Amino acid sequence: MLTATESDQTAVDLGASHVTFTFSDGAEHTLSIPTGSSILAAGLEAGLPLLHQCRSGTCSSCLATLVEGEAGTLPGSNSSLFASEMAAGKRLLCVTQARGDCRFTLGYDSTGGQQVSAAQTFVNAVERVAADVIRLELELAEGSWIDFRPGQFIQIKVPGTDQTRSYSIASTPAQLPKIELLVRLLPGGVMSEWLLNRAAPDAVVEIAGPHGAFFLREGEKVPHIMIAGGTGLAPMMAMIDQIRARPGRKPPILLSFGCTSEEGLFHRDALELRQHWLPGLSVQLSVDRGPASDPVRVGNPVEAVGQGGAIDPASVAYLCGPPGMVEAARSHLEALGLAPDNIHSERFVAS
Amino acid sequence: MNEASPIRRRTTVRMSTSDKRLNDSALQSQYQPYKDAAWGFVNHWYPALFSEELPEDKVEGIQICGIPIVLRRVDGKVFALKDQCLHRGVRLSAKPTCFNKSSITCWYHGFTFDLADGLLSTIVANPDDPLVGTAGITSYPVEEAGGMIFVFVREDDYPLEDVPPLSQDLPIRFPENSERFPHPLWPAAPSLLDEGAVALGLHRTGQSNWRIACENGFDNAHILVHMENTIVHALNWVLPLGILPDHEEPITLTEDEDGPKGLIQWLFTDRWKPVMENPQLGLKIDALNGRFYRTSVVLPGCLMVENWPEEHIVQYEWYVPITDDLYEYWEVMVRVCKTDEEKKAFKHRFDRVFMPLCLRGFNDCDLYAREAMEEFYADGTGWDNEQLAATDVSAITWRKVASRWNRGIAKPGKGVTGATKTSSIRLRRLAEGKAPGYFVEKIEDVNSY
Ligand code: FES
Ligand code: FES
Ligand SMILES: [Fe+2]
Repeated sequence: MLTATESDQTAVDLGASHVTFTFSDGAEHTLSIPTGSSILAAGLEAGLPLLHQCRSGTCSSCLATLVEGEAGTLPGSNSSLFASEMAAGKRLLCVTQARGDCRFTLGYDSTGGQQVSAAQTFVNAVERVAADVIRLELELAEGSWIDFRPGQFIQIKVPGTDQTRSYSIASTPAQLPKIELLVRLLPGGVMSEWLLNRAAPDAVVEIAGPHGAFFLREGEKVPHIMIAGGTGLAPMMAMIDQIRARPGRKPPILLSFGCTSEEGLFHRDALELRQHWLPGLSVQLSVDRGPASDPVRVGNPVEAVGQGGAIDPASVAYLCGPPGMVEAARSHLEALGLAPDNIHSERFVAS
Repeated sequence: MNEASPIRRRTTVRMSTSDKRLNDSALQSQYQPYKDAAWGFVNHWYPALFSEELPEDKVEGIQICGIPIVLRRVDGKVFALKDQCLHRGVRLSAKPTCFNKSSITCWYHGFTFDLADGLLSTIVANPDDPLVGTAGITSYPVEEAGGMIFVFVREDDYPLEDVPPLSQDLPIRFPENSERFPHPLWPAAPSLLDEGAVALGLHRTGQSNWRIACENGFDNAHILVHMENTIVHALNWVLPLGILPDHEEPITLTEDEDGPKGLIQWLFTDRWKPVMENPQLGLKIDALNGRFYRTSVVLPGCLMVENWPEEHIVQYEWYVPITDDLYEYWEVMVRVCKTDEEKKAFKHRFDRVFMPLCLRGFNDCDLYAREAMEEFYADGTGWDNEQLAATDVSAITWRKVASRWNRGIAKPGKGVTGATKTSSIRLRRLAEGKAPGYFVEKIEDVNSY
């Protein structure tokens, strides 16, 4: 039985309560919150991605459901919830205080208040950008929408099959309803088979997302290091374009991008344009196998980082590519002095 | 998942461009950011008002890059805040209400904002509201120079510590740049930032996109439209039919790290050759009684015409985006006046000659020429369909340099004047004979409407 106790405060007036937040993706956080403080304020202070707006009990963005324990409205505050909603366990966290240990569930996930949703899209373009890479441009159908952060991925239901595949988005949220993906072709893969033989403009594709905790951390002004192998370039394109569009001074970015051979190096024009638009972006291209003509070097994109001069140990790094590359890059960067917490990575497996 | 069959959004069809076009598709995508900047480049310094338009304690509302801005002068100092109430979006400037020197109050429900930082400092009828002190509206840095008020028009989350000095958004200065960009035919041009600089001019609203206007400012191919202007004949200037680039570097970029970013054209040097004759049309120009000048442009769209319209004077122009189809056209002449006498003489000549014959007469031509281009570009297709020619190297260079160095592309205005082109208020105002403009519509008589 859940009750909003407005009056009887004697038992819990002193000390703090343990408040547990359960996000829709199952992520749980427990905080110790002093009685008399706003649960929203305490949660935000602890860095939890709690949705909010007015912070005065009006707009209802901070809505949560009390599933265990007791919690009531802070003295002197008002909540715009109806009594019936309160009775059903609804609380506006900005004006709510705990009365003893309690637990709330939230209607959104822990990657910053994002909802995973399914959406219908149309194919706009299918373009071969290298022997084994296809650029797929989708467009959300009327009435369909997803939100995401640059770096995150979506799942695609391969048309005509019951298989799903995951791909990082190469475009930015500002480009929605358009979504761009870079897909590596694999002999015999179901997605490859669809792309090569059946995908055409106006085909309908079902997607779901966003997914993943690999996304651009906002507000960082320290140098950014990005290491990408193959189609691991996709999330980097999204992040670079996001940085370009965001307000304030842009951080220097070093992108080290590697492919197997020079013919396979795709998106060189796209990267050149980014360098034109973002004077602080430098790009190092590597190929595993020679020959390679200047400025492309033979070698892996990991060891290329730090060769041209010292790396600022305060840098943040983003890594995306096959598991082996990501592991190697992580230890290389840690050896160069980067803090493990500042290295974000996404590894992909061929499928 | 929606079971009904999905419906396509309305999308724009891209036209193909021919290879012969100067602006082929590779070039086009080099300046994609510029094509995206219909509402202007944000996070830059823009002129907002002439100093004399904002006397002590006056409040004015304007709009730049789709951002409504309210200005108030207190004890000589100008403050600028977002002119959109935190509460429900009312424009504070529509009915200015100030109860003290440090704040401005929304006339509707009394939300009161600190002039210095935009923080909600109280609410008239609810001083204890928990919102007080925790929320607010964006504030904009302000500078005054030579009789003009400049505002740093920023996105809400553009950090104040990243705001560059005004000089980074004003043209390069002389004589410090005289060696790099020699000008043997005229004395060093003054700068608005010079000591004793006096700016005289006007600003008025033009009905076209700001980029169309800006590109006209340094377009070397449009001398034709000015052939019959009174000033040209009154002062016996003879203008060539046009000038064509004749060098591998007819234009030099200015990209110094802490300096303004833009371009300067080597006009009246051997890098551009005047066209004196078109035999086919029977046109021939005999003696060149040259009016030597040089144009340069820097972000966010500030034109400088050196040695114009006479020695020791420089003409500046800005094409300040209001919406995607309106801009505020600033035409300003700057001269350094060391004494009151000099100032008087400048003002006298400005009022009698330059204002009517240059800023009106001559530049009126430019105003209608830009509006003549507007419809071709208004739906976005003109950028793909235009057929540029050799002289348009100036426009292309500007588009590329602007794509590279702008500090942000303004998002289409949301919830602001001009965002909805067919709102009933806009239509009513049109019916009342009031064209969409730069200033807020003020409530004049509180008892009748
Ligand atoms: S944040 Fe608006 S009701 Fe809590
Ligand atoms: S709209 Fe400004 S106080 Fe309500
Ligand atoms: Fe002109």
